[in-house]
Amino acid sequence: MSAETALEIREISKEFELSGGRKLVAVEGAGFTVERNSICVLLGPSGCGKSTILRMIAGLETPSGGEIVIGGRRVEGPGRDRGMVFQAYTSFDWLTVRKNVEFGMQINGVPAAERRERAERFINLVGLGKFAEAYPSQLSGGMRQRVAIARTLANDPEVLLMDEPFGALDAETRWLMQELMIDVAEKTNTTMVIVTHDLEEAIFLADKIVFLSSHPGRVKEVIVPEFKQGARIADKERAVKLDGYSDLEAHLMRLMREEGRGKE
Amino acid sequence: MSARPTPFLQLRKPVSRRQKLLSALAIWVLFFGIWIVASASGLVNPLLVPAPQQVFATTFDLFFSRGFGSDVLISISRVLIAFALASAVAVPLGVMMGSFPAIEAFFAPFVSAWRYLPAPSFIPILLMWFGTGEAPKLALLFLGVIFFLITLIMDHTKNVREELVETALTLGAPRHKVVARVIFPAVLPDIVTAMRQMLAMTWTYLVIAEIVASTTGIGAMMMRARRFLNTDEILSGIVVIGVLGLLFDLTFSALHRWAFPYLRKA
Repeated sequence: MSAETALEIREISKEFELSGGRKLVAVEGAGFTVERNSICVLLGPSGCGKSTILRMIAGLETPSGGEIVIGGRRVEGPGRDRGMVFQAYTSFDWLTVRKNVEFGMQINGVPAAERRERAERFINLVGLGKFAEAYPSQLSGGMRQRVAIARTLANDPEVLLMDEPFGALDAETRWLMQELMIDVAEKTNTTMVIVTHDLEEAIFLADKIVFLSSHPGRVKEVIVPEFKQGARIADKERAVKLDGYSDLEAHLMRLMREEGRGKE
Repeated sequence: MSARPTPFLQLRKPVSRRQKLLSALAIWVLFFGIWIVASASGLVNPLLVPAPQQVFATTFDLFFSRGFGSDVLISISRVLIAFALASAVAVPLGVMMGSFPAIEAFFAPFVSAWRYLPAPSFIPILLMWFGTGEAPKLALLFLGVIFFLITLIMDHTKNVREELVETALTLGAPRHKVVARVIFPAVLPDIVTAMRQMLAMTWTYLVIAEIVASTTGIGAMMMRARRFLNTDEILSGIVVIGVLGLLFDLTFSALHRWAFPYLRKA
């Protein structure tokens, strides 16, 4: 893993205007970097502004202060270099799985032959080969998220952003999807920023965990899961048994609890 | 122990296809039965309520020997032309208003004010402006549906989920492509449903227009029949309007099923 920086978040803040002229500070001076080809997980209790940070990286929200830099360019609004997968299902119901995956490429004028070939590759990568001609309404929730992941990756973004992507799925589908993401990261060398409040998910997926405190969101601690010894573990059952896994889990639990207490 | 008999009225349990058909048939048999009995027994004045068999005979007669077909065609063409014009304005405008709040802010105050004006109140002025040709009828039908159609389509467009729009934006779609390639196809099934509802309303205004100010069309025929106390012809007109409305509705729902196969569950 090289240490080249893909994405730089420089002291960003976000204030929301509430009714009655009051202001809510959702994020205050949060800063961190995301290395190329790494998986960075934003973890924190609810209300820590992790989704807001992700939306600012995507360009769907504008920071009130600070800046976000990707590949030397300052983020000014959404763009294809930062593809996003949402918690809610976002399949385009009127298109087949194949057409869904081709959508971004078609919008961006990728020639038809290349489009078909890339769509094929990413549909197979997420294990939907048999369902290429199906409509999303015929698929399960986990499969729809696979469509969203394939669609975003096929569009060749520099960073894949995911906002609690597996939050709506049942437990066993969720860990299958987590293993899929490790597989995808290894095969495609994609830089990922994933928002979650699920400790297990964070520990399993992350090359680096950015833990955020709540009200307002600040970076509380940046944690590299040392027990993985610089390599990703493809099998969740094996990860859980490794030395150091439970220590990290306990540490994160304590951080979560501290933040939770602050709220009451 | 004997099995408990299933009650006829089961709370929210769907009925079989067969029972559905039989029930639909039964209510109409009952309706015509009462009508036939009432006419035959002399309970009602035959001048005001002719027997159903007479109404059907008259309907045949109207179509095959008195050129009623051309009246029906005129009525249908009025509905279709006015409705097509209204849709040609309402669909793009409604989608734009639902997509861009700035466009909504400009048009919505105007559209919602007009919605509260009953279209028939324009009949006198429309007659003064356009005379007695086709124009005032088309204008009435157009005015009667367009503001409702715009509002319905705008509301449906606003209901297109934000995540779909944001997904398209993060895939690199510029605004016009988000509207054309995501918002529009997402809202299209609802637009067709809204058009189906508003087409029924267009029929209502058609009859008003033809009764008040026309010498041609189904409504005009009915008003002529009234002058000669031909109740059977009036009832024929009502039956024909009902059947046509039903046919249009079925056509639209078939169109909906055919055009949006992806909405069917696997």
